[in-house]
Amino acid sequence: MTEIIRVGVLGAGRMGKIRVENLSRMPGVEVAALATPYSSEIYEWARSLGVPKVTEDANEIFQDESITAVAICSPTDTHVEYIQEAAKRGKHIFTEKPIANNVAETIQVLETVEKAGVVFQVGFNRRYDSNFIKIKELVSSGELGDVHVINISSRDPARPRIEFVKHSGGMFVDMMIHDFDMIRYLTDSDIEEVYAYGGALIDPRIGELGDVDTCVAVVKLTNGAICTIDNSRETHYGYDQRVEVFGSKGSAYAHNKTSHNVVISTKDGVEKDKPLYFLVERYMDSFGLEIREFIKALREHTPPIVTGSDALQALLGSVAAQLSYKENRPVKISEVV
Amino acid sequence: MKKIRVGVIGAGRIGKIHIENLCYRIPGVEVVGVSEAEAALPATKEWAAQFGITNVVSDPAVLIEDPNIDAIVICSPTNTHADLIIQSATAGKAIFCEKPIANDLERTREALEAVQKAGVKLQVGFNRRFDPNFKRVRELVSSNELGETHIIKITSRDPEPPPAEYVKGSGGIFLDMTIHDFDMARYLAGSEVTEVYARGAVLVDDAIGEAGDFDTAVIVLKFENGAIGVIDNSREAVYGYDQRVEVFGSKGSAVAHNNTPTTVEVSTGEGVFTDKPLYFFLERYMDSFIQELQDFVDAVRGGNEPPVTGDDGLQSLLIAIAATKSAHENRPVKISEVAN
Repeated sequence: MTEIIRVGVLGAGRMGKIRVENLSRMPGVEVAALATPYSSEIYEWARSLGVPKVTEDANEIFQDESITAVAICSPTDTHVEYIQEAAKRGKHIFTEKPIANNVAETIQVLETVEKAGVVFQVGFNRRYDSNFIKIKELVSSGELGDVHVINISSRDPARPRIEFVKHSGGMFVDMMIHDFDMIRYLTDSDIEEVYAYGGALIDPRIGELGDVDTCVAVVKLTNGAICTIDNSRETHYGYDQRVEVFGSKGSAYAHNKTSHNVVISTKDGVEKDKPLYFLVERYMDSFGLEIREFIKALREHTPPIVTGSDALQALLGSVAAQLSYKENRPVKISEVV
Repeated sequence: MKKIRVGVIGAGRIGKIHIENLCYRIPGVEVVGVSEAEAALPATKEWAAQFGITNVVSDPAVLIEDPNIDAIVICSPTNTHADLIIQSATAGKAIFCEKPIANDLERTREALEAVQKAGVKLQVGFNRRFDPNFKRVRELVSSNELGETHIIKITSRDPEPPPAEYVKGSGGIFLDMTIHDFDMARYLAGSEVTEVYARGAVLVDDAIGEAGDFDTAVIVLKFENGAIGVIDNSREAVYGYDQRVEVFGSKGSAVAHNNTPTTVEVSTGEGVFTDKPLYFFLERYMDSFIQELQDFVDAVRGGNEPPVTGDDGLQSLLIAIAATKSAHENRPVKISEVAN
């Protein structure tokens, strides 16, 4: 029997809950503690899953030497502090993206983590989606030839609460960061330059906060390929998550996933299912796979496929996009490092 | 029904298609004469004879001055378009002209002024507007079924690159190829483009790069109504002519997929296979070539405005010029910057 890995989870929002559920089901893993602000509902839920300690104080996790790994699922503005605290105490770290909303802090955190020599994985879950894994394989095997164009459509089903937008770091950092990571994942190439444009076409209050709810970016990669990303905060028809890679030998297109593939034809027309509603429905498999890889990485000492450097590169894409949007000009990554 | 008498200038690839459609597929039309360059005259005469067209000449002025002709269809090389439009307008003919009117603004404006002064009709050959897929998407926008337009996405890729020789005289990818997509974007959005950012690359054929052009491009369009457009182009999609559009709006989205020769799906031990897209524009857009001329003929007969005007030709050219500048200078370019 391998040693039981005791994990502390920080945060029990949407993602925290998913992490606790996945980890508590995993053989050889125990969720030893959950730190989250008090709510009778959440505390009861955690106990029902057999989590022995639920606390408001994150330090109880950091100070517990029997806890060897943490999953950080708390709001973004707590990530830096928690990562550094965990690293200092030699705990392995899985953190939701982004590490931080700014480049300087991210670099600082990565230095701390490297010095501590712990396993560090960032939650770019889409890399674990079966559709995108398949496209990555087609690119890597050379089946599509040299990559010329990548098109990504990535749209949320419903606009976020305005409170969320205030603390999100902006659409380019909060949302488009996943697409920057996807581009790097699919191509193994780095982002060289970004041009981004957007507007508040859905909710004027988002515009009043200086953010956008609809945006498009053109991304030039170091291997010469050109990519487009389009994002929207509200589709009404579900979570629209499509990727196309076009290369010298052909193209590969990942369509949306649906809950069923029944086609209904009536006198009113031909109808099929809408895309799966949102990330919980669409990416549940990938959440499970990525946390499994994290556990595998710390058990077998293999590096995770999403490193801290990947998180930094994706953030640089976001920061460049934000600056590009603000100044309406293409921005080189070298300018924002 | 009043018969509309047409003279066709230029019997190259597209000219032949129009002649055949005018003879066989569009009722109430007579092709009175065809003009073609001296060198190709014998072959053209032989080809035209099958449609009973005997009046085949080398001088287009013969058709333009012919009082028996109501309308001129211009399918000759681009650099002749503006002059032929001016001559035809002066002679009081209705004009159908292949895109573009000219590769430069000055000539385009001269031609449009002549048309306006003469009070004749001019339709520009942006055939894709007449494609049933894109027409349907436009209807969904017009009827507000998709709500306010937020994002317009166009993928437009040719099956094979043109020879580098052609590229040299083409005006560049944005004027030659993307201009169709610029018109499509305007058509779908029902709004004018205010600014363009274009990024080009040479990834298909180095000879195209040596000719000073790009073979791969991505363009961002900003519209007056706030919508954002994104276009991607390639000169070579090895699987055929890739022609898709998507309009995403506040109430939903509409996607037009590629048309295929058949809809048969074959499943074997190797996988599940469907047809590739129709190979190139002749196959893909045949319906639209018929419909655009049908609508032109209807406009000539009925006195209504043609569905694609000279101004549409001008606006797309402005966007193409701005895109070219943007790609070469790597910065967003406002339409107002190139319009003067």
